Amino acid sequence: MNTRIDELLAAAQAELAQANSDGELEAWRVAHLGRRSSLTLALRSIGQLPPEQRRAMGQAANAARRTLEADLDARRQTLRRRTAHAHVDVTMPGYPVRLGRLHPLTLTLRDIRRVFAPLGFRAVSGPEVEWDRYNFELLNIPAHHPARDMWDTFHVQQDARPGDLLLRTHTSPVQARVMEQVPPPVRVIVPGKVYRYENRDASHEAEFMQVEGLAVDERITMADLRGTLTYFVRAMFGPDRDLRIRASYFPFTEPSAEAEMSCHACNGSGCPVCGGSGWIEILGAGMVHPKVLADVGYDPDTYQGFAFGMGVERIAMLKYGVTDIRSFYRNDLRFLRQFG
Amino acid sequence: MRVPFQWLCELAGLSAPVDEVARRLTNAGFEVAAVHHAGEHWERVVVGQVVRIDPHPNADRLNLPTVTTGEAELQVVCGAWNFEMGDKIAFAHSGARLWNAYATEPRLEELKPTKIRGVLSRGMLCSPRELGLGDDHQGILILDPSAPVGRPLIEVLGDPVLEFELKANRPDALSVLGVAREAAALFGTEVHSPIPDPRPSAGALGMTVDLRIHDPALCARYSAAFVTGVSVTESPSWLRTRLEQAGMRPINTIVDATNYVMLELGQPLHAFDWDTIRGGAIGVRPARPGERLTTLDGQDRALTADTLCIVDAEGPVALAGVMGGQTTEVTSATTTVLLESATFDPVSIRRAAQRLTLRSEASRRFEKGLPPELTELALRRCVQLIESIGAGRGEFLSADAWPAPSAPQPVTLAFDRIERLTGLAYDRAEVRRALAALAFTLDDSGGELRVTPPFWRRDVTTPADVVEEVARLLGYDRIPNTLPMGRVTGVMPGEVDPRDDDLRDVMAGLGFCECVTYALTNETRMARLIPPDLLDADPEAPLGGAAAWDELRRSAMNEAGRALAERLLPLHRAPLRLRNHLSSDESTLRLTGLSTMLETLRANRRHADRDLMLFDYQPIFLRREDDLPDEPILLTAVLGARLSSGRWDETRTVDLHVVRGIVDELLTRAGVDPLAMGCQNVRHPTFAPGQAAGVTRADRLLAAYGQIAPQVAAAFDLDEPAWALLVDVEAVRAFDTDTAQFQPWSDYPAARRDLAVVVDADTPQADVLDTIHRAGRPLLASVRLFDEYRGEQIPPNKRSLAYTLSYAAPNRTLTDKEADRSHNKVTRALQHRLGAELRGPSGHGDTQ
Ligand SMILES: [Zn+2]
Repeated sequence: MNTRIDELLAAAQAELAQANSDGELEAWRVAHLGRRSSLTLALRSIGQLPPEQRRAMGQAANAARRTLEADLDARRQTLRRRTAHAHVDVTMPGYPVRLGRLHPLTLTLRDIRRVFAPLGFRAVSGPEVEWDRYNFELLNIPAHHPARDMWDTFHVQQDARPGDLLLRTHTSPVQARVMEQVPPPVRVIVPGKVYRYENRDASHEAEFMQVEGLAVDERITMADLRGTLTYFVRAMFGPDRDLRIRASYFPFTEPSAEAEMSCHACNGSGCPVCGGSGWIEILGAGMVHPKVLADVGYDPDTYQGFAFGMGVERIAMLKYGVTDIRSFYRNDLRFLRQFG
Repeated sequence: MRVPFQWLCELAGLSAPVDEVARRLTNAGFEVAAVHHAGEHWERVVVGQVVRIDPHPNADRLNLPTVTTGEAELQVVCGAWNFEMGDKIAFAHSGARLWNAYATEPRLEELKPTKIRGVLSRGMLCSPRELGLGDDHQGILILDPSAPVGRPLIEVLGDPVLEFELKANRPDALSVLGVAREAAALFGTEVHSPIPDPRPSAGALGMTVDLRIHDPALCARYSAAFVTGVSVTESPSWLRTRLEQAGMRPINTIVDATNYVMLELGQPLHAFDWDTIRGGAIGVRPARPGERLTTLDGQDRALTADTLCIVDAEGPVALAGVMGGQTTEVTSATTTVLLESATFDPVSIRRAAQRLTLRSEASRRFEKGLPPELTELALRRCVQLIESIGAGRGEFLSADAWPAPSAPQPVTLAFDRIERLTGLAYDRAEVRRALAALAFTLDDSGGELRVTPPFWRRDVTTPADVVEEVARLLGYDRIPNTLPMGRVTGVMPGEVDPRDDDLRDVMAGLGFCECVTYALTNETRMARLIPPDLLDADPEAPLGGAAAWDELRRSAMNEAGRALAERLLPLHRAPLRLRNHLSSDESTLRLTGLSTMLETLRANRRHADRDLMLFDYQPIFLRREDDLPDEPILLTAVLGARLSSGRWDETRTVDLHVVRGIVDELLTRAGVDPLAMGCQNVRHPTFAPGQAAGVTRADRLLAAYGQIAPQVAAAFDLDEPAWALLVDVEAVRAFDTDTAQFQPWSDYPAARRDLAVVVDADTPQADVLDTIHRAGRPLLASVRLFDEYRGEQIPPNKRSLAYTLSYAAPNRTLTDKEADRSHNKVTRALQHRLGAELRGPSGHGDTQ
């Protein structure tokens, strides 16, 4: 009978040498050490043997079982070592997992909002189709004022006309909308789409994004404007940026200013990005015109503040090195997938 | 405006380098857009003289001048005719760099020897534009006869020209003197005014004109001066050169003198041939019905009552401030001239110039509002100039109508107002100096500043204007950098919803790339969303019009389809159209973003065969009666036919369930309770029959999705199935459960039971699921569908749905008996309520 145990043992060992995976080891375990294995059956049938054989048989079967268990462990170790050295090429690409991307203009708008939020500016929005009154008149640009030439305007067809409808040419109308509705202090930024009746080229769009800023209280100064904008360009383009302002003209600000930042590409020494000057025009700004304040019901002798407006595409172009403004609106996946 | 640098330096008494002048003017708000160094590209351009002109053998429009440069005679092919034998011209040798006169963007190009219609051209006769001397390209530049042949052109004409960006607020900035005043203030120099002192001359020539201003609101002042013994010839070269540098074309002595003074002082002048003025009278009044005028450009114009005219005793002789009339034009036969120098109402001039599309150098200046004081000064300067070039003799002021003279009003402000606005404490003395440099008179004896601007600065009317003058002149760069202090603001109206960011993030997380698309489209493009056979192709109303839509809604949509059309795809609404547009493709504000997104999908399909997942999160525009349009934000997503899935190159085909998975995750994440969402078939012509669905909550359509109808996909030139998802963001917001509330789960082992339910094929899965949920309470912890089966093993009109159910209690391990009891309730409910049969004991049994 020991011969039979020996045979079982030899067969099981031979089979074990062929097992090459955890699955095969498990199958082998069920076959040779499981409840229905020959060895187990042999042990269970000991009771049918003559008593004098039972002990030897039991010992032999148990010894065989221990041997096989030890062999299984050994084999498992071997396999594990071998797997560790096996040729899984870690340079193979993973199976595709595709996250989407946010549009670079969305990302830039978020960056801008993130810069201004800690200064207390809340983001608000307003209508893209606007009354002439908000887009122009309440901004100190009466009908037939030559300043209207600064904004080529799309006009909307109307049946009845309680006022002239147009596509807003800037986000500035929201200044008036906000101030009409809440008393000072006011601190907002206004992101949104604006429209210009203007032929497109690499640096001009007929539809584009602007961010307007407005801060009005009793003592908000031009120095605050300059400081806020300096803080902004450093947050967006790095701590080494400088900001300078020079006199300009906008009908809704007085004094008015044009802000330039030292070129982030060359640090001010001159390069193609800044046209060799070392400075990049980045936005228009100024102190809110007393007439604009008075027209929304703020007392211009008590309240004052600043406003600024920037083109989001321009910021994004500088930040991401995009050279054609129209790329933002083509929505080519080869473009969109590069950001975010 | 183009200002020749020498001219500027003369008037400003300046001797600074041009770049320094440009920089400081720019900082002070006189933005120099460019400094044109006339001549910096002229290495191979010399003075030439035309010695012979031959006809071109093959082209009537061309001729063949031969030019001598002193060293050689060279024949060229030329398309201009404004020169004669003996004229001195700017001759460009091959290799010269010239501005391309026809390019839209200015660019320099190298001149190469070329054959033109069979004849070799060995150089070129240059127009002012080709040399960068202005816009004139009507003929070649004729040089002064004294120019030495062979000399490099730069030695004859070289002088930098400053080009200023025009600003709307400063009429004085549209003059060399105005810029010179500014430069002198900045550099601390003395202005050399070119205006001569008055001389008592009215009536000296023994002529009178009867001046009448009908409405002082339209013409504040009208001044006139006679010039007799006029010789209308060519102006001297210095005068012509300056006009050319400033971008104007020389014409004759009289016209050149008026243009010169306009450039110099900013006051447009007009010269009438006095002998053609009828009745010795000049008036200013709006045109009367039926009046006509042939203007200088030869056009016979019917005048409207809002056109301001200059009239003689019989009728209009000029459009005030816009253009002269032909009959009174100064010609070589003219002997006596009446010079007009007037102040017209800016709005009237601007409207007339726009209406007639005749915006000129003159109208541009009138539009900005000129000071009436200037009329007389300009006449003096002009008469003096005419006399100095020997073109006639005149009176400085022959007649003057100024019904209501008014001087600029003083502005009063507290001194500390300057610091309060700028944030910088200026020294009182430097403020005084700055204002004095700008010719403001200042009285601060009473503590406050009482500032009176000079007559040419009527734009200064408020304290803020005065503050700007001070800050500007002393330099914005002195203003410090501070951050605003002050009070905390409240919530602002119209605040951007932070959930907009969340939705975008979720879409990106689900694999979609965000697009920012144009709001402008047109009706034909949007109409592609409806199969063409359903809409009569009416070119006037590509979207079909109300009647067509009533029919469509009745026949081609079910209720959910109508809800989709109403909220998410409102193509039946009359769109907002533009009055002016860049192209007919972009004449209308969109009613949907879907057509633009399908176009975008198509464009990307050209270079990608999978993972085309795009979304757009922008408003549509819905007309409202007597109000601004409604601008609801819609989420519009499109998908191509295949998505990456599985191993490297494997894809799965998009079907309704794939999109539904996206919709479920999106809406759940947006805060809509998934158990409360309903789902319906959508029948709508944009979507393929049986392949579209809508998700509702409390009967409100939140989202619709489905396959684009093949005919529609074909209209967008899509070569494979496309899918779309439209979400009503506002509706979703209405069901946003706000802040999620924590739901505990059981930490005790769950008992799993699998279940295969055979139901009628048209029984909605949602009903099965709902029955399971209701019957399984309270121990049922989760249900998951894992298979749908139709086929041989069950009857043909049935399908089998297989679920895994888990039962658990919050506070203990369930016994098998408890789990079985719950599960039996579920199976009984399915049998009783849905007539379901349960398929044999599932193999998955009770595994844990
Ligand atoms: Zn640079």
